[in-house]
Amino acid sequence: MKKLIIFSTVFLSILALMTVAVASGEKEAVESNVIGISKIVSHPALDAAEQGIQDELADLGYDFEYDLQNANGEVSTAASIANKFKSENVRIAVGIATPTAQALANALEDIVVVYTLVTDPVDAGLVDSYDRGGVNITGVSDMTPVKDQIEFLNRIKKLDSLGHVYSSGEANAVRLAEMAREACREMGIEFIEATVTNSAEVKQATQAIINRVDGIYVSTDNTVVSALSALTEVAMEHGVPVMSADPSSAESFDVLAAWGFDYYKMGRVTGRMIADIIEGAKPEEIPTKFMTDPSDIDLLINLDVAKKLGLTFPQDYIDSASKIVENGELKKK
Amino acid sequence: MIEGILVEGLIYGIMVLGVFITFRILDFPDLTVDGSFPLGAAIIAILITRGYNVWLAMFIALSGGILSGVVTAVIHNKLKIPSLLAGILTMTMLYSINIRVLGNRANLPLLRQETILTRVTALWSGFLPSEYATLLFFIIVLVIIWTLFMLFFHTDLGLTLGALGNNEQMVITQGVNPETLKIIGVGIANGLVAVSGAFTAQYQGFADIGLGQGIIISGLASVMIGEFLIKSNRIGLLAIRAILGSILFKGIMYAGRYYGYYINLTPNDLKLITGILIILSLVLTKFRNIGMKKRMLS
Repeated sequence: MKKLIIFSTVFLSILALMTVAVASGEKEAVESNVIGISKIVSHPALDAAEQGIQDELADLGYDFEYDLQNANGEVSTAASIANKFKSENVRIAVGIATPTAQALANALEDIVVVYTLVTDPVDAGLVDSYDRGGVNITGVSDMTPVKDQIEFLNRIKKLDSLGHVYSSGEANAVRLAEMAREACREMGIEFIEATVTNSAEVKQATQAIINRVDGIYVSTDNTVVSALSALTEVAMEHGVPVMSADPSSAESFDVLAAWGFDYYKMGRVTGRMIADIIEGAKPEEIPTKFMTDPSDIDLLINLDVAKKLGLTFPQDYIDSASKIVENGELKKK
Repeated sequence: MIEGILVEGLIYGIMVLGVFITFRILDFPDLTVDGSFPLGAAIIAILITRGYNVWLAMFIALSGGILSGVVTAVIHNKLKIPSLLAGILTMTMLYSINIRVLGNRANLPLLRQETILTRVTALWSGFLPSEYATLLFFIIVLVIIWTLFMLFFHTDLGLTLGALGNNEQMVITQGVNPETLKIIGVGIANGLVAVSGAFTAQYQGFADIGLGQGIIISGLASVMIGEFLIKSNRIGLLAIRAILGSILFKGIMYAGRYYGYYINLTPNDLKLITGILIILSLVLTKFRNIGMKKRMLS
């Protein structure tokens, strides 16, 4: 019993010490302008957005301190990070990806939350409508023009069936797959899907459907994009074109075309929104921003892949492309 | 801040009790946890969104957890495969089941839904700020669970269960079937884990298929830290130290996030810290035990 008392005393005093230390830290945080950024995992797309936010705010002349937090892929940690931001009383909390944004929205009542890289904020329960923000919450959606992308591929190569490999564990990917299924139904294309739970399964999933498809569509699915080389390898072996929604990853792999936005630019757009809020704009009045502005969108076409597959791009696509891969070289316009 | 650590520590403490039952009492290393934790979250989220009573939903989450534990134990018993493998099998199968439960989605929000926590904070809003209302609620929940835990392990069944991990042969000579005991024990453990997952979903405002990531390791770390804190063989104290271990583990992780940058620690390093922490607790506990034996001998 004596031991228990000693241990409980030690234990409680450690907790008390931590409170005191943190309480003194809190005061500091109120004065220094801290922007808290919580991302679910370290990943090229998410890191690029995080960097874009900071660069944009720096270019606009703000001098914020950043508390960059990362849940290491553990959704359960997202709530801990939200609590941390709450106790630090950060000026604005930014949630990169759906679960981190949800955890922030749930824990922070008086702090403005800006979400980014959330595909469907209404489906994720963050806001009630696309036309306006919620109380103390608004942000940027990374909804990608799924239907336009599929139509694009269909114009280059007439599709009877389209394959789609996506991650069943990513809310964004599941939503985009739903949209792709819908788009294919409207266009009369057979939609053949394969799901993966991690990036190691991408190759096998592609092999499983490759003989039944005329083309493969890759959305902004973090897991699949991580293993894009495995997917394009199988596709090239079987002479199947791949259309991707992520131009940055498409630069180094054999993707026929990639049409979408750059995550770094998306971070910049998010940064601009944060600046607007700092300058007094009300989050309720800022609708969710979609990356539809032509300057936000990049089109990458790979002429080498087209040649190998015996396909040709219509001239207007070549003219509107901002990045062209030809003879192994990347040309930017 | 401190109430955040305590609340999280208590919620995960329920899961740690489950991990403690399997790893320590039953000596049945069980990895079902990474699947039954999000199962609890998925069940509560879908039922709340569909408008079911939250307490009924909690009960169903508990049952779902128990069922997944039973499946693991049955696989282990009937196919004679190691408990680790049986747990991994169930955990893997649960991934698909959890997506089904969530309605073929990876993530289901509970924001702006009425949960147990919103009810509790609304009920006590007159005299307690919401953070402390949540804390008080979880203290009460943990006291209830702890009491039930104590009572159970003082019944004949509970005592036999306690003996199983130490000496399976003794249990057999007593005429008890160890297979049945494993089914009951692993079932209860995963029931607790699912309840913990269900509370987590309500606390953080959503259920996500990735919620199970890293749960078992944080549970183990908490058990080990608890063992380092208090030395005892009384079941009540063992349960308390598991819960204290959970709180302290959360505290250490918070500290890592808060002060890590002083020593150039980034959030990416926290997994390394978790591992080192477990090893450290094991080493320290071991050395202390050796020290005690020496004193007893001399």
